[in-house]
Amino acid sequence: MRTSLNEIKEIDDHVLGQTAPDEALLFEAKLIINPGLTYKVMWHKQTLALVQQYGRNSLKAEIETVQQKLFSLPEHAGFRQKIMRLFLKR
Amino acid sequence: MTHEIVFDKPAARREKLITELYQSAFPTVAKYISKMGGSFDDAKDIFQDALVIYYEKAVNSDLSLHNSEKAYLLGIAKHLWFKKFKGDRHNLPLDSCTKDFDVTDETEDQPSGVKLMRYLETAGKKCMELLSAFYYHKLPMKDLADLFGYAGERSATVQKYKCIEKVRETVKEQSLAYEDFIE
Repeated sequence: MRTSLNEIKEIDDHVLGQTAPDEALLFEAKLIINPGLTYKVMWHKQTLALVQQYGRNSLKAEIETVQQKLFSLPEHAGFRQKIMRLFLKR
Repeated sequence: MTHEIVFDKPAARREKLITELYQSAFPTVAKYISKMGGSFDDAKDIFQDALVIYYEKAVNSDLSLHNSEKAYLLGIAKHLWFKKFKGDRHNLPLDSCTKDFDVTDETEDQPSGVKLMRYLETAGKKCMELLSAFYYHKLPMKDLADLFGYAGERSATVQKYKCIEKVRETVKEQSLAYEDFIE
């Protein structure tokens, strides 16, 4: 892997808490002497937060698709009636 | 030509799981919400959030929740109901537990988060799919390689880091642009 990708791997391991103990100290030292690295760690965390949100958004969309299938397809009519009956009385 | 089947596997697996959870747990949750005076839409919203929490818990721990999924989902749903409609900010006894149950969208806190997400959903879709398969759905590297058509785990790993580099660059540009803007 090229150097920049190796650095990304190091940052990723650090952010995920997967750095080997002997390398962890070295990474901490690098953070102190290299302010640019601190920024990279920050952007990396923001990137992972976005990825997390992206994954969650797609999961929500998948859940909504299932919901729509269950509440529209004829084979789920029994299930649908069972649920709708709960909200009829009021 | 097994490749096309492989491609849909995780998504198809998730659809099956979500459908099963709906069938086994939604009636109980809906009954509870109805009893508490909630509407069908309340039940739907709460159950969908509960599913997200359940899923994230399940992929993030080795703990198998399979036997108690119904009880677990009902427990989360009750908590969410309480938080949404009955929750008094000054009187939340379970405050320390709520952080586990937080489904707040992280991007909404950042001024440029929504715009950035919209950009990544289009321009960086392939990378976002790859990265979320790994970091969100926690698929093993081997499955990821098959799914995205890489020769092996190693090339999929390299691609993963390249994708981080690409997305991170966008994040960086955005944050620098924002700094310029507020100065």
